[in-house]
Amino acid sequence: MILIPCPHCGDRNSSEFTYAGEVHSRPSPGDARQGPWRDYLYGKDNPAGWTEERWFHGSGCGKYLRAERHTVTNEIRATRPEVGAGASSRTRP
Amino acid sequence: MPETSSTNTAGAVEVGDGPVARSPIRPLPPVRLHAGWEVSGRRSEAALQLADLSPLAKVHVRTSPTSALASFLEVGFGRSARDEGGRLVVGAGPDSWTVIGRTGTASEIVASLQAAAGAEPASVIDTTHGRALVRLTGSDARRLLEKVCAIDFDDAVTPDGATFTSSVARVVTEVVRDDLDGLPSYLLACERSSGQYLFDSLLDAGNEFTVEIDGFPEKEI
Repeated sequence: MILIPCPHCGDRNSSEFTYAGEVHSRPSPGDARQGPWRDYLYGKDNPAGWTEERWFHGSGCGKYLRAERHTVTNEIRATRPEVGAGASSRTRP
Repeated sequence: MPETSSTNTAGAVEVGDGPVARSPIRPLPPVRLHAGWEVSGRRSEAALQLADLSPLAKVHVRTSPTSALASFLEVGFGRSARDEGGRLVVGAGPDSWTVIGRTGTASEIVASLQAAAGAEPASVIDTTHGRALVRLTGSDARRLLEKVCAIDFDDAVTPDGATFTSSVARVVTEVVRDDLDGLPSYLLACERSSGQYLFDSLLDAGNEFTVEIDGFPEKEI
């Protein structure tokens, strides 16, 4: 069992969360070329080490959060609430 | 709605003119009508009881935690308290609340919350018919819930008034500890379509504690 420290709810079983992918900075949709946009949509760094990810707490607060997770040990050293557009998509608790 | 129906002990309700609302959880006989809802009139004396409270008004609120409506509700995330009108205000999420009131009072609650919100952005929705609500009461309630939910139910972590949303029997459930007469008691709310399953799962988990089904309570909330 992996415990994910939700910044809102505290330590919860990872089964309450949905993985929402690595965090990448988004190129400007207005003037991004095809290559960088494709990399943003489909590219994965997939490092054997620390990575920053987005998780969705669907069985809890219904919020997105960011987590720094070590992909080899599954240690999570920091989480924080997601901010900005799409930070919350819950319709019900 | 006036009670235009009579009850018989076989469980069938003779319905009068008005429409009848039904909980997603089948009521045990004797069945009666209460404010337009079909409810169970059964009474249990067991030490651990499970009752269907789905007819209660359940209003869902979403607004900024810094808004006027949030100040009006007073209750923060993770806590619950009764307001002056005897309604239970539940801090269900960082920016969401559930207000639970007596059967048939949903439109009244919605109106008062919308008035409190004023011109600020807020979502106030009557979810009475979209959510199931059950109450588990008894000294063994905590041991039962520990079988189906990974949350720590110790008094230090979830005291009276605590609330959280988590997986209960694999169903996303809003849990509120709301003790009754000194007895540990928990309100559990989930989507209507999962209501009967959650009810049956709690009964199954409570088999070893001889849990019994109780009817709709006289003191609703």
